[in-house]
Amino acid sequence: MELLSAFDWIGNPVAITRQFMAGLANGMLLFLVAAGLSLIFGVSRIVNFAHGGIFMLGAYFTYTVVNLLGSSIYSFVLALIVSTATTFLFGVAFEMLCLRRIYRSPQAFQLLVTFGLVLILGDAVRLIWGREENSIEIPALLNGIVRPFGVSFPVYRIALFVIGLAICLGMWALIYRSRWGMFVRAATVDREMLQALGVDVRRLFTTVFGLGAALAGLAGGLAAPILAVGPGLHAQVLIDAFVVVVIGGMGSLPGALAGALLVGQANAFGTLAFPTLAIVVPFIVMTILLIVRPWGLLGKPE
Amino acid sequence: MIGQSATLMVCLIAALLAPLGVSEFWVFVFIEMLVFALYAVSFNLLLGYGGMLAFGHAVFFGIGAYAVAILIKKAGFGAFNATLLSPVISGVAGAIVGYFCIRLSGIYLGMLTFAFQMLTYTVVLKSYGFTGGDDGLSGLAVSGFASTPRGFYYVTLAVVSVSLLLLWRLVNSPFGLALQAQRGNPRRSLALGINVSLHRWMTFVVAAFFAGLAGGLFALANQSVFPGWLNWTAAAAPIVMTILGGMNTFFGPVVGSVIYVLMQTWLTGMTEYWALFLGVAIILIVMLLPNGVMGLWQGRHHD
Repeated sequence: MELLSAFDWIGNPVAITRQFMAGLANGMLLFLVAAGLSLIFGVSRIVNFAHGGIFMLGAYFTYTVVNLLGSSIYSFVLALIVSTATTFLFGVAFEMLCLRRIYRSPQAFQLLVTFGLVLILGDAVRLIWGREENSIEIPALLNGIVRPFGVSFPVYRIALFVIGLAICLGMWALIYRSRWGMFVRAATVDREMLQALGVDVRRLFTTVFGLGAALAGLAGGLAAPILAVGPGLHAQVLIDAFVVVVIGGMGSLPGALAGALLVGQANAFGTLAFPTLAIVVPFIVMTILLIVRPWGLLGKPE
Repeated sequence: MIGQSATLMVCLIAALLAPLGVSEFWVFVFIEMLVFALYAVSFNLLLGYGGMLAFGHAVFFGIGAYAVAILIKKAGFGAFNATLLSPVISGVAGAIVGYFCIRLSGIYLGMLTFAFQMLTYTVVLKSYGFTGGDDGLSGLAVSGFASTPRGFYYVTLAVVSVSLLLLWRLVNSPFGLALQAQRGNPRRSLALGINVSLHRWMTFVVAAFFAGLAGGLFALANQSVFPGWLNWTAAAAPIVMTILGGMNTFFGPVVGSVIYVLMQTWLTGMTEYWALFLGVAIILIVMLLPNGVMGLWQGRHHD
């Protein structure tokens, strides 16, 4: 790193742009995780502690498939499909077997069930894949560096940004332009009323949980080439996603996007400028925001 | 059903005899049960009696533990004085956290306590010179009667029993009844002249006080403190114990802590993958025993 001193980058547009792009790519990944968390909370009022664990599952599935087939763009895409599909099914199964039975129980019960799943997933990956950290290569097609305007960017970060943007648009169309999305938004406001109007709310909950899990699984798969795929992977992601969802507003998708982009940038620049403070700042922001504006930047007060 | 006071006497006698004739390992397990019992009851004051799901309650346990450790290691206090002071420090923390939390409801209240817990965790992790960072602080020696495991057990038993007695009196006092009334219907309680926010706030202070006391005792029992006690995974323990025993009774969390510690001791001794089994057990308990073990025992609902 040529950035020896903490603030050298301020006068350096190249460094700023690179850091900004890194933050953007990470923000997009974070959005995928946080969007699922927020969607699930909005509809079912469940804070899913296992969301980081599902992200971790996605990363491990991608690692396994790529490892089996050898690194190429085809195996990577296949791995992403496998990760997304498996985590979708996993989310659906978990919702139908466990969560469905306790929607009417006190919130502490729901919290504990997702927490139990965290413990299970943490040990299950250790049991299946071992304790060591694994890594996969970025597929050759997406590996390398481009230099537009004299700034060098890793291609994969740009790809992450583009994929994230595409999913973001897809989510927008799904939630704001489809009939299913209309039900989701209605359930966020008043589930009883929606049920009274004849919508199968049980199935809606199941599909929402599945979609949320699939988004986390896909994010895990996309992150696999740039992260160490190890048993501790779920913790940091979960906590970051919590911060994002609280900042943006629990249950708000535009909020999750804004929050993810903010936290992505804060991580990118914060670690440069204040390496010690960088991990404290998100929690200070989260705490202050919950005090003055508990519904988040873009959410609505209840 | 056996009379409540008779049951209590039997439990107390059992607790007095428990550390005799067992290995030091089990004495430590019993100490852990007592400490966690106090911790879980303090949590249930918020959840069961106050209707506040403060899922960052570990922050007070952690502050109490670190208060003892820092007072002994950095300020030259004796173990006794440090343990006396630590619940006061966590009580003050409870006043600060509670001041902001009581305005919120439901999951937002929980999230804010959790945010305070994570904030404290990261500060502890980064204040290396003061808290030992990742490594925690160790070498917290206790002198005198409490320096042997059995001696420490009896001191803990006395402290926890007195604390539980005080808490029992509190929840059955007009204050406790008003607290339960506002849980059921805050608006109506307000109309009846109950100062709802003051009751909720004081509950935070008391719960933090006793959680801090439990944390302080736990630090001395381990002769060390670790930042992991403040990490997000630590948030679940008091909730698990409370739900396991039953949140609708005073002694439910006590029973829950005994079972929880036994289960954890047994599983960690048996398999490296104890967390896997603990996770399965937690899910099964929540789904099969909605009123906890106490609910099963009483065979009826207390709502």
